Order: sequence, then C-alpha cells, then structure tokens
Amino acid sequence: MADDDADDRFLVKAAFEDNNLTNTLLFFEDGEQLVQYFTSNENLNLPHMVLLDLNMPKRDGKEVLKVIRKDNRWDNVPVIIFSTSNAPDDIFVSYQLGANCYIVKPSNYEDLKELIFNVHNFWLGNKATPY
Amino acid sequence: MTYCIHLLNLPLFILIYLSGNNKLKILRTYFHILSILIQDVDFSLKARSMKLSTASLLNRSLSEQQLSIITRFLFGISLILIIALSYSYNEINEELVNYSKKVSQTQQVIGNLNRLSSVVYETSYSANSYIFLKDTVYVNKTLAANKKISKITRSIDSLISDNGPQNKRLIFLKAHADKFSDHIRRLARPATVVNPGAVTALYRKKNLETDSIVKLIGEMNNVEDQLLYTRVQSRDNYMKQVYQYNWIIMLVAIVFLSSAFVLLDRELRRNKFYRIDLENKIENLNRSNSELEQFAYVASHDLQEPLRKIRSFSDRLVSRHRTEVPEEVFQALVKIDNSAQRMQHLINDLLSFSRIVRIGTNPKLVSLGTVMNDAKSNLSEMITENKASISSETLPSIEGYNSQLVQLFQNLLSNSIKYHRENVRPVIRITHRLVEGRLIPGTKPSQQDIVFHQIKFADNGIGFKKEFADKIFIIFKRLHARTEFSGTGIGLAICKRVVSNHNGYIFAESTEGEGSNFYIYLPSESLLT
Repeated sequence: MADDDADDRFLVKAAFEDNNLTNTLLFFEDGEQLVQYFTSNENLNLPHMVLLDLNMPKRDGKEVLKVIRKDNRWDNVPVIIFSTSNAPDDIFVSYQLGANCYIVKPSNYEDLKELIFNVHNFWLGNKATPY
Repeated sequence: MTYCIHLLNLPLFILIYLSGNNKLKILRTYFHILSILIQDVDFSLKARSMKLSTASLLNRSLSEQQLSIITRFLFGISLILIIALSYSYNEINEELVNYSKKVSQTQQVIGNLNRLSSVVYETSYSANSYIFLKDTVYVNKTLAANKKISKITRSIDSLISDNGPQNKRLIFLKAHADKFSDHIRRLARPATVVNPGAVTALYRKKNLETDSIVKLIGEMNNVEDQLLYTRVQSRDNYMKQVYQYNWIIMLVAIVFLSSAFVLLDRELRRNKFYRIDLENKIENLNRSNSELEQFAYVASHDLQEPLRKIRSFSDRLVSRHRTEVPEEVFQALVKIDNSAQRMQHLINDLLSFSRIVRIGTNPKLVSLGTVMNDAKSNLSEMITENKASISSETLPSIEGYNSQLVQLFQNLLSNSIKYHRENVRPVIRITHRLVEGRLIPGTKPSQQDIVFHQIKFADNGIGFKKEFADKIFIIFKRLHARTEFSGTGIGLAICKRVVSNHNGYIFAESTEGEGSNFYIYLPSESLLT
C-alpha cells in the first residue's frame, strides 16, 4: 500500500488485523518509494495487489500507475486506487490509466473494516491473481 | 482639443449673428443647439483633462437617449438646411443670370440707339454735302448710310419687344426714321438738286424729322439708362447674396461635419473605455472562477481528510473499547461522530454546488420529458415509500445540460415529497406553457422579447410563509429545525444555480399549510454559448 498519510496506513493495517487477515502488508510513504521497490529489486516477489493513494508527494498515484502499466514485467499487477477524492475527473482518469478498481476511502472505521474484508475476499480470497 | 472646440464655436457665433440679421429663426435655433452640444463635449473633455479617469469620461451631462434624439434632430435639421440653402442658392443664381442678361440687353439697346443717332447725323451730313457741293460722290454715301437706319431700328425692335412704353416710342421713332429716309432718298435724286424750291422744302422737312428722331432717341436713352441703373443694382444685389449663400452653406457643412466628427470621436473613445472595462471584468470573473475551482478541490480533498480521521478514530474507539469506556465518554464520542458527519455532508453539498457552477460540458438538445423520467426513477424508492403521485403534462425539449436538469427536477420533486403534510398523500402536478419574457418579473432587458417555457411544479405539501419565497433559494438556508426535517439546505440553491446556468428564472409561491408552486422559466431559444 502506498499512502503518504500515516493515519490511513495505520487504519488499513488495523482493519486487516481486526478482520483477522494475515496477509503480508508492505507500506510506502509516497509513489517514489513504491516505484523504487518495483525497479530496484531484481527478483522481487510481485504483490498480489496494490492499494494506491492518488494525492501523494514526489510521485502521485496517477504517475505511479503509468509506470506500473508501462513495464511488462509487472503490468498485470492488480491496482486498486484508494483515494479520498470522489471527483469524476479523478475516477475517469484512473480507469483510463488502467486501474482495476477505484474505491473512495470510507469516512468511518466500521465501513473501512467491512471494505477491507470485501476487497480481500474479492481480490485475494480465491487466489486467482497473477502472482 | 479644447482649442479646436473654441475655434468651432467662433463661426457658430458669427453665424448666429448673421442669421439674426437675416431673420432665419430655424438657423438660429439650430446653431444654438449645436453650441450647447459642443459645450457639453467641451465640458466632458475639460473634466477629463483635469482628472484622467474612465469614470469622468463615462459621466455625461446628457443621457444616452437625449444624445441620440439630439443627434438625429441635428442631422435632420442639417440635411434640411443644406437642401433648402442649396435650393435657394440655385434660385438666386438663376435670377442673377437673368439680370445679367437683361443688363447686357439694355446695354445693347443703348449702343444701338447711339449708333442710330450717329447714322442719322452721318446721313444728314452726307445729304447736306451733296446739296451744297453738288458732288455725286455724296449720293452713294448718303444712300449707304440711309440703308443702315432701318437695319438698326429692326435690331432695336427685337431687343425691346418686352418693354411696352419703349415699344411705343420705337414705333414713333420708326415712323420718323421712315419719313427721314424717304426725304433723304428724294433729296439724293439728281433731278431734285436742280430744283432749288424742292430742295429747300425737303431740306426743311428732313431737319424737322432729324430733330424728332434725336429727341425720341434721347427719351429712349434716358429710359434705358434708368433701366440699366436698376438692373445693375439688382444684379449686384443678387451677386452679393450668392456670395453670402456660398459662405453660409460652407459654414453649415463645416459645422455639421465637425460636430459629427466630435460626436463620433467621443463615442469611439467612450467605446474603447467600455471595452477595456469589460475586458477587466471578464478577467476578474475568470480569476474568481478559477479560484472557486481551487476552493472546490480544497474542500473535496484537504478539508475532508481530517474529518474522515476524526470519524474513523472515534469510531474505532467505540468499536474496540465499547465495553471499557464509561457511558459519558461513549455519548461524547457519538456526538463527535455526529458533528463530523454533519460537517462532511455540508462539505459534500458545497462541493456538488460548486461543481454545478462550473459548467464544463457542451449544451445538447435535451427532452425534459426524459429528464422527468430520469428524475422519477432516481427517486423511485422515496416515491413508493411516501405513496407520492406525480402527474406531468407533455414537456418540451430545450438546449441544455442533461445531468443538471435531472438534478433540478429531482431536487424539486424530492423537496415536494419531503415536505408533505402529515397523513396526506403527496400529489405533485407538473404543467407546461409558453410565456413571453416581459411577463416574467425581473427579466433582463435583452430577454424581454424571448419566449420562455414555464414549467410549474405544484404540490400539496406544508408550504411556507410568503416572506420566505426568496430566502429558500439561498445556500444552507433552512426553514425548519434539523430535528424536523433532515438535510443541509442545498437543494433549492442548486435548483437556482441550474436554472441560471440555463439563463432562466425560478420563483416560488406558497400558502402555508396548503402547498407550494415552483415556477421554472427556461428560454425556448438557446442563449447558451
């Protein structure tokens, strides 16, 4: 997960824990760190899924998405945009750049917990991901 | 410039003075108005030179309408004046030509009369020489001179045929001249010369005729001299007038042209200032629009972020530590969550309102019937829940923004359903008719002649007091406590925004406890760009 907001990272982590999900979670503080992770590792374990915030310093979510979708080594990693914005423009552009899904961050914890549970079930539950 | 205007004023005053003499009253008023107008221009120019600002130039001592009337009046008068002056100039010119002809005619008559008298003397002299010297050389001379007499009288005759008394004198003159010629011819015969008695008698008769001829010529000459004098005077008079008219026409044309130039110049200058003013305003508007967009983004993202955190953490506290925290703390946490939630709603509404301000898409031909169906299907849950009945007439198609219009209808319908009377089934009737722009209160002058679609939403809800008819369209304005009816008070503000995006108008009227009517006016011809 790439998000510059420590609270959001904490809440997502807490939501995974409270749902008793034991997946390995990797957190990045901005888009640049995520891109570095992808490019610097020769034989990396590609993630089953990326949760990507849009508004981040250095490289924002849209730029990261472009980088991911350009390189054929990892262009099929499922990317879920996870942003506060519900602006039609942001949603439209994200899908155009190849996002698999766009989720607006829920505004309370109960909803977030439920959402993480559902996302896990949908994207990771049946293990039908490329990696 | 001021100097030029004073220069312009100078011939005006001269003209006012001149026209006063000529008793041309119209001319006088015309010039008075002109000088007032020029002073007006002068005044505004002076004001400008004192303080170089747009405001002082745009300030005029005459209103737009007055100025337009005066300009038309001046133009008309100038045109009439120039035509009238040209016409009378032409008349005077004709008179002048006529009198010039008459003068030369009179001069010819005088010349001929003088020639006649000298010819008579010549004939008489030749005849006398023949009688006394008996030299036949004089016979031919006498007869040749004698022949000229009748020729001259004939030419005089053709010149003075228009003058009765002179004609009469000429007839006498002719008679005497004929007799004179006759006597001369008889004197010039060689047979007569040898008879001294006959010569003496003829000589006496001839001298008598000569006297009468000379006397008549003198009379005629006097008359012609008199005539010549008056005719020359008239001719000179007309010449002077032609000269004056030339100047007057020229001055009127100059004054007319220069005042037209001054007015035109002033209007062009003013036009330029208006344009600059408009450009500045458009620039300000664009700036404030882009600022509003930035504000919308800030509201959507940065303001929501901390609120989301407040809610998430208080929520998590409640869900994880529900059993551990005291009741008081729990209640406080619930209140924090409620307030944060309410603020989130407000921000969301503000955001959707500012998105409507920004139009973005291009207008399309939209069927309001389809819009109504879309709005109804969006509200289907609410409609069935409240057993609302919605009946609509056939609605027209207009040029507009589909999603905004759906939102408009949806907000009006949900409003009517939401504010229904207790235990009364909400009934909403939507009707349509065409209305002329001038019948709608508060239409812009440019929209007076446009036909508008009036779409009326009539419900049987709780209604509101008359004095709130305008307030309900203000953003976040509510007439009821939040405990009575939920909502932030954005719905009708959005309606108003949508309608003004379409260059239309929205009004509400209501009787409390009986229901309300909402009137939407949308222009039938597209004014969108």
